Amino acid sequence: MLGLGSFDRAKSKGFAAIESVAPAQSCGSAILIWLSGGPSTIDMWDPKPHAPESIRGDFTTIASAIPGVRLCEHLPQLARTLDRFTLIRSLTHEITAHDVGSVYIATGNRPSQAIEHPAIGALTARIVGPRSGIPPYIIINQLKDGVIDRAGYLGSAAGAFAIEGSPLRNALRAQGNSLPTDFSLSALGDRERLLKRFDRGLKGLDETDIGSGLSDFQRRAIDILRSDRVRRAIDLSNESPTTLERYGSTELGRGALAARRLIEAGARFVTLGFGGWDTHTANFEALRTNLLPTIDRALSALALDLESRGLLDDTLIYCLGEFGRTPIVNASAGRDHWSRTMSVLLAGGGFRRGYVHGATDDRCSAPTRDACSPDDLAATIVSAFGIDPHAAVASAAGRPIVPFRDGKTIDKLFD
Amino acid sequence: MMNPRFRLTFALFYCSVACLATVVSARSARASDGEFTEIDRVDFERHVAGLLNRLGCSTGACHGSFQGRGGFKLALFGQDPERDYHAITRDSGGRRVDLVDPDRSLILRKAAAIVPHEGGRRIEKNSWEYRVIRSWIAQGARRRPEVGTVKKIDISPSEHVFERSGESIRLRVAVEFEDGSREDVSRFCVFQVKNESVAEIDATGRVVAKDAGSCAVVVSYRGAFAWARVIVPATDDRRDRRVARSKSFLNSDPLLFESENIVDREVAARLRKLRIEPSAPASDSEFLRRISIDAIGSLPSPEDVRAFLADESPNKRSAKVDELLYHPMHADLWASRFCDMTALDVEKLEVRPYLAQAYARVWRDWFRHRIAAGTPYDQIARGVLCATSRGEDDVKKWVEDETKRVSALGRNEPNDFATKPELDLFWMRNSTNGAIAIEPAAELIASSFLGVRIACAQCHRHPFDRWTRRDYRAFANIFAQVRTGRSIEADIAFGGLLERLRARSADGALPPTPAIREVFLSDDGESALADPDTDARLAPRALGGPDLSGRRDIRQAFCDRLVDPANPFFARNFVNRVWAYYFGVGLVDPVDGFSASNPPSNERLLDALAKKFSNDHYDILKLERTILTSRTYSLSSIPNDSNRFDRNDFSHALPRRPAAEAVLDMIADATGKAFDFDGDAPAGSRAIEVATNRPKNEGIARAFRTFGRPDRKTTCECERSNAAAIAQTLYLMTEPAILDRIKTGRLAKLLDSGASDDQAIDELFLATFSRFPSTDEKQAAVEAIERKNDRRAAFVDIFWALLNAREFSMNH
Repeated sequence: MLGLGSFDRAKSKGFAAIESVAPAQSCGSAILIWLSGGPSTIDMWDPKPHAPESIRGDFTTIASAIPGVRLCEHLPQLARTLDRFTLIRSLTHEITAHDVGSVYIATGNRPSQAIEHPAIGALTARIVGPRSGIPPYIIINQLKDGVIDRAGYLGSAAGAFAIEGSPLRNALRAQGNSLPTDFSLSALGDRERLLKRFDRGLKGLDETDIGSGLSDFQRRAIDILRSDRVRRAIDLSNESPTTLERYGSTELGRGALAARRLIEAGARFVTLGFGGWDTHTANFEALRTNLLPTIDRALSALALDLESRGLLDDTLIYCLGEFGRTPIVNASAGRDHWSRTMSVLLAGGGFRRGYVHGATDDRCSAPTRDACSPDDLAATIVSAFGIDPHAAVASAAGRPIVPFRDGKTIDKLFD
Repeated sequence: MMNPRFRLTFALFYCSVACLATVVSARSARASDGEFTEIDRVDFERHVAGLLNRLGCSTGACHGSFQGRGGFKLALFGQDPERDYHAITRDSGGRRVDLVDPDRSLILRKAAAIVPHEGGRRIEKNSWEYRVIRSWIAQGARRRPEVGTVKKIDISPSEHVFERSGESIRLRVAVEFEDGSREDVSRFCVFQVKNESVAEIDATGRVVAKDAGSCAVVVSYRGAFAWARVIVPATDDRRDRRVARSKSFLNSDPLLFESENIVDREVAARLRKLRIEPSAPASDSEFLRRISIDAIGSLPSPEDVRAFLADESPNKRSAKVDELLYHPMHADLWASRFCDMTALDVEKLEVRPYLAQAYARVWRDWFRHRIAAGTPYDQIARGVLCATSRGEDDVKKWVEDETKRVSALGRNEPNDFATKPELDLFWMRNSTNGAIAIEPAAELIASSFLGVRIACAQCHRHPFDRWTRRDYRAFANIFAQVRTGRSIEADIAFGGLLERLRARSADGALPPTPAIREVFLSDDGESALADPDTDARLAPRALGGPDLSGRRDIRQAFCDRLVDPANPFFARNFVNRVWAYYFGVGLVDPVDGFSASNPPSNERLLDALAKKFSNDHYDILKLERTILTSRTYSLSSIPNDSNRFDRNDFSHALPRRPAAEAVLDMIADATGKAFDFDGDAPAGSRAIEVATNRPKNEGIARAFRTFGRPDRKTTCECERSNAAAIAQTLYLMTEPAILDRIKTGRLAKLLDSGASDDQAIDELFLATFSRFPSTDEKQAAVEAIERKNDRRAAFVDIFWALLNAREFSMNH
């Protein structure tokens, strides 16, 4: 009755419209760029140029395409294109440990002993459903084994397909999604023919839920292998040098390009991991030389590329980590864990462009306006897909579970 | 570890989830007032609080939530009538009731949505519900304390067998209150059917039969639960058709109705009421395959299949059951099940990290040893739940022995952990300054050994059960004596040992000696939880039991009660788990979902098995034998015309995905090539022998993840997932480790040995499907060979297709 199996997206949209929890236009796919370690958003998207140096840090700020909104000097391309983006400056929570904090942000639910919640991507992909020939939920550069892409109570069936290898060296591998080199398409045809003959033997299997489900999986799996979409999507060798250059010659840049290609190929939710943000020491050095230029280029290129392909309305990009970092710079020129304030950058997916949501105090130590929780953010993201964040879904064990009990959709974020 | 305050909140989120179903049914709960007779004297507790619950007002999603809603807060499910009475009559400036003009009472105007109400219109103006509340206000809005305290709740009839679809009956709920009076409270209850395809129920308790099947109806009256069963038989014409058919096809097992086996007796009783026939017995090869997967997590070899088919003894099935129950791999399978139940997690084990994997193996071996030795389940449970490291041993001797054991473990040498009387390792986790976190321990123990999920009651009274926060904390306090680390006396003894070792060594230097840890008891009371209401000391109690304090080890007193045959939970939980292992679904489902509101699908069967299990002194193998030698277990998975709809009455076998470990082992069996576990288990081992929940070998870890082996991270949700997933299908189709095994294992040997096409095809079918190919299948294989000019490549295609057919990867 409350099963996901019977979840009707159209109906849920209708319901959502009545309750006015979701935007009229809904997005169909998302790319999450996960800044693992906890990005120092005070040095990026919520700078405090007027704070004392011990807080302000090493960087100066630059004006952006949104009047009155300034970004860090090392994010020039994002600043120029910020009118395509939505910036949340008032995300706040209270968990400052990496794993638990990651679980909180990635699932939109406080971690619990009693129940493991699924990652937002797992839930979304499950409810919105796959497109033919490609798995709906994919993770590139799975930094922490199963922490940010967990299937939780949905069961392993809802887990992400992990794409391994280096995008920069054009060496991404899609485990299970493409035929190994010595397994030709014509062999697949031969084998499929035999499989169909051998699969008739067990009478009565088609009448069982699991039997007919498996038969459907066989068909879809062969579609995925035959279409070879995943492998073609992650093969960047035919991309023009201009495009490659635009995204940047970095793992993140190439990963973002692969993510865009996967979305074009029909994936629903792609998570892209990007580590190195746990800057307890030499924060400014790491940001200036590597992290900020990388993300500046990759994120702005991704948004513009999706826009020029007419995909940005339908695709949400969002970028965050497990928490922010302390307003006060420590003795090692680093910043430590700080979850009371953090910023999130979003683009597309029907979110209000050129809008900055919320604000923090002049030390960036606490939100002063429109504070929102990870639960709220998660509820908002699924709402963008037309999913009612409070409509129960069925766990693998068949229990009805409200996915975001505590999350309230942030209506202001939508047009 | 997580901050305890967070944990409290987290559990709440989870629990509030469970309230949903109630809200849903309450929403549609608008009874017509056709038959309603006015109540002369409306009682606050019995009637008004009952209505507020039935209308959904006091649920977690509305005013029953912690913060209330719209400034109006009720106790969840009307658990605290005194507080609710105050909230209604005093709070909000007393505007909620208007004694002079009852219709102006805010509570009525809100409920009837005469003024805006966030919760919408719950009742119509002047409906019977409206009139009940109105009368109560008109009569002075009084409350007679404790008049509504429920002593007993009955639903009648407790079972009803319909004649045909479309019929209806009215269920009646009677409550006996503490003051001895009885009253029909049907109007004030929330009704819920567990399977809406079998029956529908309205707010007045009228059940309408729909499609054939059996299902429970659960009723709740202000948080007290009762349930009844309704059975809708297969229609007569369906039965006639079957009879006509069964003359030509023997598609049923009439002998099931005559079987003496208690499983068969209770299943047959249900099937008779449903007027359906069980499916025919599974064929010999199906049976052999099923029992091999279920009992030893393996496929029978082609030789096994041939021998079993050739065996003409009438008792060959029960002989096979006996053979496999005493097979060493059966003990391995059980060790793995117990590791799941006891949540063996190498990341939580408080041992030196380099020893964690070794400790995981001895944890597993401890169980394996007991199953192989036929240790009764109650003793196994006691060995876990009452474990200390030293028991009654002399501390000096223990320190020496344990040091030797741990040294041996570190050097990967034989050791005697498995034969230690108790599994102290179970307690070596989640500690702060030596005190173990008793709440997760309590939740795990309740879930694993009682089948009860108590996490909800951490924060509030369990929404679907009878446990309160006080029950929860009193239960957790049973484990408040447990400490890990080194007790003072062990520390002194250990210091002494180090001195002696140093003295004994030639150069006066200390030889490498592991720092040992122990599980011991302390009565400092520091980790005990206080009464949630009064903050007073709270005595340890089993759920619903007496004060257990006084014993040196309170856990012993708990275990005495736990394993007492009078305790309904202990045996029922275990037999239900065993049932779920062999039938794919528990009689109570999920297996840790025993609660007042989740009745078993066949309570007589569950009771009979539990009773037998305790009468047999908790002999696990005897229990398994009863189940596995039943005709019910032997039935074919092919339904007949009469039982096609059945999902929970066991008239036919339900095909299911084997456990993750078994899937890997079946692949190794079929292809004739073992997997490599990189030291997590000795070379040539099987997946079922891997103890750790974090395998080193990435391919193995991925395979386990893909096929749903549990992480053993959460205590409450039944983690093991046997659900099918497209990732599994893709894994089987493309995993290099499998493709390699297809080419190089059994098939290569077969072709190299000069087997004919015919022989090789037979052999591959026997190795995968455990049966000979049909004519059509053989034809398909022969054609494939003829079409390809590369014989070996054609056989690779055939083998691949066999391994990817559903018949291979399902247990059916």
